[in-house]
Amino acid sequence: MVVTTDPIKQLTPPSKWILDCDVIAVTELSSDIYLMRLHGSEIANNASPGQFVNLRLGSSGGSPFLRRPFSVCRRRVADGWFEILWKVVGEGTAKMAAFKPNMTVNVIGPLGRGYHWKESLEHAILVAGGIGVAPLPFLCEELTARNKKVIAYLGAQNVEQLVMSDFFESLASETVLVTDDGSLGKKGLVTVPLINYLSHSNDLKNTAIFSCGPSGLLSAISGICDNFNVSGQVAIETIMGCGFGVCVGCPVQTRASSSDKKSFKLTCIDGPVFDTRESIV
Amino acid sequence: MKLSVKIGDMTLKNPVMVASGTFGYGQEASDFLDLSCLGGIITKSVTLKPRAGNPPPRICELPGGMLNSIGLANVGLERFIEEKLPFLRGLNTQLIVNIAGGVADEFGEVLERLDDESGIAAYELNFSCPNVKEGGLEFSQNANVLSRVTRKLRKITKRPLIVKLTPNVSGIGSIARAAEESGADAISAINTVLGFAVDIEQKRPRIYRGLAGYSGPAIKPIALAKVYEAAQNVNIPIIGIGGIKSGEDALEFIITGATAVQIGAANFIDPRTSEFVLQGILEYGARHGVDSIASLIGSLKPWQESN
Repeated sequence: MVVTTDPIKQLTPPSKWILDCDVIAVTELSSDIYLMRLHGSEIANNASPGQFVNLRLGSSGGSPFLRRPFSVCRRRVADGWFEILWKVVGEGTAKMAAFKPNMTVNVIGPLGRGYHWKESLEHAILVAGGIGVAPLPFLCEELTARNKKVIAYLGAQNVEQLVMSDFFESLASETVLVTDDGSLGKKGLVTVPLINYLSHSNDLKNTAIFSCGPSGLLSAISGICDNFNVSGQVAIETIMGCGFGVCVGCPVQTRASSSDKKSFKLTCIDGPVFDTRESIV
Repeated sequence: MKLSVKIGDMTLKNPVMVASGTFGYGQEASDFLDLSCLGGIITKSVTLKPRAGNPPPRICELPGGMLNSIGLANVGLERFIEEKLPFLRGLNTQLIVNIAGGVADEFGEVLERLDDESGIAAYELNFSCPNVKEGGLEFSQNANVLSRVTRKLRKITKRPLIVKLTPNVSGIGSIARAAEESGADAISAINTVLGFAVDIEQKRPRIYRGLAGYSGPAIKPIALAKVYEAAQNVNIPIIGIGGIKSGEDALEFIITGATAVQIGAANFIDPRTSEFVLQGILEYGARHGVDSIASLIGSLKPWQESN
């Protein structure tokens, strides 16, 4: 990079913003899972699937102190909105469940590196575990808009925890639902029908797996990608301090660095999407 | 209101800077903030060799702040010079490079190498990191050790040397005096407060290394106490750090005796905080008819016994 006397001005336009976003709607999808639509044109315009936004939930110095990161679940450029999907797990997420339309939330985004694919990709396999479904609707929209064939495997503990299946059923060429207790779709692990599918596929050259979910699922996906020699990417979740690379508080050990225990990548700027060949061990 | 202040030979256009380890190498936050509004940027600590830092978990949230144990993760001296310095030296703000090391010689080597580079206004010596095995806290927990190291480094450079002190001492006054007597141009107070948190379900510390550094609004009274004590003991400028998130917070430090301030953990929540702090100072100045920020430094009045 050539640096002139005024490096700020000569850099490319901003890629991330801090916006006060109006809440358009908060929808309760199940007992503890919510979808919120926020107005924020710059974020909606510039987000790519797998990227996240960081919400400020506490007042100045108040609780919770740190922002809370959420995947961009869907966006509509024409209308300037984006959505986030979350499960209530603590103070911050509970506070969000009580948000009402016309409230304002301070949001930083879009942040991180999202999913990516080659022009030659023909066939995308999306694998969700529980609330890990969050970034996949956006990815599904972008892929189908480019005429990529999408199969979605959606796994969750039970019917209550399996959300947005209608969305995938309307867009993907095939949607497979799996629950731990069999209360919806097949009973068992989401990886079982996936492995079955891959075993019966002849050519996986232009196929890629895109996943998000608990760490157990993601390491299983990494193993599956290795075994079937198929390209894969996983979106991981860690605790974050800032979300834009200055606090250095969200390290992940990568496969490449596993021999050298002292090498880390940062979830917020190197991820949250990692190639399965490099992702956490 | 005249905002400029002096730290040694270095003039800051205003007293609001960003603290080491909370603003990366400047570029990370440049989408959010016109960096030229800053009085100065203090870089992430630079060490002689690259450091990967501590294993996770490195941070945890607490009431009014957070614990961190990053472990001085940084790109190391050579990559700092090649990759980070060109951007930083082009900014219209004072560049202060924070230096850390395991032993005094390591500080010296980094200092010597950086002294050949243009665009660096001053150095901040991190004698107070609680999150590394060697060369952390002990440099600013013992006046003799601090003197010895500071005198050594003083001989290497003519640029201002700022010694960053830990609050984890019983008397910061003697430590601050040792810094002054050994040739430091200023002190920064404070680095993080030693802290600890436990996950009772797992019966494990919430931070990998256990002990960590507490920062955020919760530590402001502790920081103010240390700045107050230091101000009684030294004549060199004091740079106040600890829980500052508003103009009012910054003014508390300045009135107590700080010449300048640094914004730390608040940058994580909003990287524009420095700009808001500066606006707050300007509003206060206008409200009180203050001509110069310098007139506020140490303007603290004692209570008078009423007759």
